[in-house]
Amino acid sequence: MKTPSEDHDLIRWLDGEMTDVERASFTARMDTDPMLKSEVEMMQRMSADLRTHLPAEMPVPYADFFNSQIQIRIAQEEPYPRSETSRASWQQWFRLPTLLTATAAVVIGGIMIMQKEAPTGNSLVHSIYVPNPAVHARAFHSQEAQATVLMLEGVEAMPADRKIVGYHIKRSETDQEVATTTLYGERGEVVAIVAKDARNQPRLLSANPRG
Amino acid sequence: MKPALILACLTSVLALASAQQPAAPTAQPLPAVKPATDGKVWGALVYATNDAKGFDGANEQAPADFADIPKRLGKVFPYQRFEIIGQHLQDVFREYESWVVPTKDLFLKVDSKGPAEGGGMNLHLQFWRDQQVLVKTDAVLKEGSPLFISGPKWREGQLLFVLVLQKSR
Repeated sequence: MKTPSEDHDLIRWLDGEMTDVERASFTARMDTDPMLKSEVEMMQRMSADLRTHLPAEMPVPYADFFNSQIQIRIAQEEPYPRSETSRASWQQWFRLPTLLTATAAVVIGGIMIMQKEAPTGNSLVHSIYVPNPAVHARAFHSQEAQATVLMLEGVEAMPADRKIVGYHIKRSETDQEVATTTLYGERGEVVAIVAKDARNQPRLLSANPRG
Repeated sequence: MKPALILACLTSVLALASAQQPAAPTAQPLPAVKPATDGKVWGALVYATNDAKGFDGANEQAPADFADIPKRLGKVFPYQRFEIIGQHLQDVFREYESWVVPTKDLFLKVDSKGPAEGGGMNLHLQFWRDQQVLVKTDAVLKEGSPLFISGPKWREGQLLFVLVLQKSR
């Protein structure tokens, strides 16, 4: 039975991460250990098959939101007050290339704000993510209005000649097999259908040609 | 042939014929499975303006439970008139996304994250304008405490989105 360190060596050899000395030693071991050699060959075949059948790059669904959630978790993990020890562990986290990439994507792609506290009984905004860097967002609680406000500044104005038609939706039915939601009006009539396109973005199909 | 024998033969023939005839199809209604829900929200798109003419579209009225919403909006946004363009009462599905669509132009995607500590609901919200998401947020929505989202400017005023958790009945 192989030890974990042997598994580790095998992976490092396959990934080309060994030094010249380590590589020579590992190759010598392969020459004397037929089981190790057959395992290496099998791993090489699997690796080649995967490279052949899988695309080199795949789009991450909801990548921007995924990145923002990583940021939130990082912020939640950070202890206060920050000690030298905790700073060291922070740096170790940031050595992870994936995390660094995700963090950079967040910095470039959007703005995220966290609202920490709110009085009990009031609605609360935990986090905000705005994909458009030109838009600024902030959340606050209005004691006078007894409401939580999510203020977006810098949103492009709606064209004045655009006719906005309102709906009065009373209920909806969702069909997960075809990923659509049908919206019904006051008299039980179909008002609109929400579907999604290939990019997972909503498509609204209005039953009213004017709408 | 004796009558009893004739009757027995007829009965056998009829029984055989009825056994071979396929039964008339009966419509079996599909089981109506209503998705589990975590609550109900009311959403509205409001046109806020200082223009006395207001909005020339449909003049919607808020349900009685939320009749004070225009007045409360007036305490946050600097406008005189608040007119509901469209409204939507929506179940929040537990396992599926829900859509709050008071208009075709601005609408909200709602994902339930379960009940919140101390009441209300944990929600993930996405505020969409056509094919573009304006903001994504994780929020706790509590009864009696609406969420106001300021939308784009339009004509002489601004579009505002209101989301309220309906009281448990």
